[in-house]
Amino acid sequence: MPKVKKKRIGFVIDMTPLVDITFLLLTFFMFTAKFKTEAESEQKFFIQRPQASADTSKLPDRDLAIIKIAIDTVTYDTSYYYEIVNEEDRRMVWANTPNIPPEQLTRAQLQVDLPLLSQLIIETRKVNSKTRFAIDADRRIRFQWVDEAMEALRKGRATLFNYVTEKRQ
Amino acid sequence: MGGLSSSLQVERQKRGKHSKRKKRKRIGFHLDMTPLVDITFLLLTFFMFTTTMATPQVMEMSIPPEQVEIEVIAEELLTVMLRADGAIFWHIAQDEPTKVELKDLRRVYERENLRENVRNKLITVLKIDKDVPYGYVVNILDEFNLAELYITQELAKIPDEEGNPTERKRRFTIAKLNEEELEKIKEL
Repeated sequence: MPKVKKKRIGFVIDMTPLVDITFLLLTFFMFTAKFKTEAESEQKFFIQRPQASADTSKLPDRDLAIIKIAIDTVTYDTSYYYEIVNEEDRRMVWANTPNIPPEQLTRAQLQVDLPLLSQLIIETRKVNSKTRFAIDADRRIRFQWVDEAMEALRKGRATLFNYVTEKRQ
Repeated sequence: MGGLSSSLQVERQKRGKHSKRKKRKRIGFHLDMTPLVDITFLLLTFFMFTTTMATPQVMEMSIPPEQVEIEVIAEELLTVMLRADGAIFWHIAQDEPTKVELKDLRRVYERENLRENVRNKLITVLKIDKDVPYGYVVNILDEFNLAELYITQELAKIPDEEGNPTERKRRFTIAKLNEEELEKIKEL
């Protein structure tokens, strides 16, 4: 007599290993994710950083002031921008510096010209002398822009600073 | 053990009409994990696509505090000039500038820094035309940084007066290219 075959309805896959590995990856990406800062979400430009060979140095995430020299994506105008990472310092520097256009006072990042940049650097050094400076410039701009920013840093006696670069692929 | 199983049987008998049904012994249980996997994959793809792996790195730079005049022995001065179109020239002291490709610049820099007499005393000045794209400048600075590794290594092999390995003292500065120099390298 032939064996009676049992009709199979559906099937079950053991999903436990799948869930294991997915959770592992999920936690990894969640913890390494770094979100845009307030200033970055305000800006209307994207900086194409100059490329340098691989290095272990990283931008500090506190006590940092960044001078950005960027090309606006809409108008193609080059301009200086100034950002202070520490929120407390930023508020004090913004309050202490005269000549900041009133409509910019609430922003995390200011669009500045050279005289204002010089003033801001000096004020920043007064508020927090531990502040380190970085120049984050687009690789397409003329060197004169960077040179003038360095001159402003020199006047503010911040003679040690960093260029922000990107790892060469 | 015996006492426990008999008490269970007693409990089952109490259930009345259900007690007649044949009980299947359960080994483990199944949990439908599909919704869990769904939502986890959703979050995973979100985080995977929004992360940027390339974090910016930095290149350290220092400039002299004020524009001060320092007396320099001509022989100990290496000038590297960068023209607006990206061409690189170099010379020692007041010699005629020589053109050099970016890929050869490192070799020149290493050789000049390790030359006898001026070893470890050489001052490098990078003179840059104001119209050079900033990216080119960083490329040259990067070459210098890479050369530093070899120079430090070679210097360490040479003992100083006290017999210790020589420590590298890097002397470097950035300046603007003036009219006179610009005229000199214009035709090269």
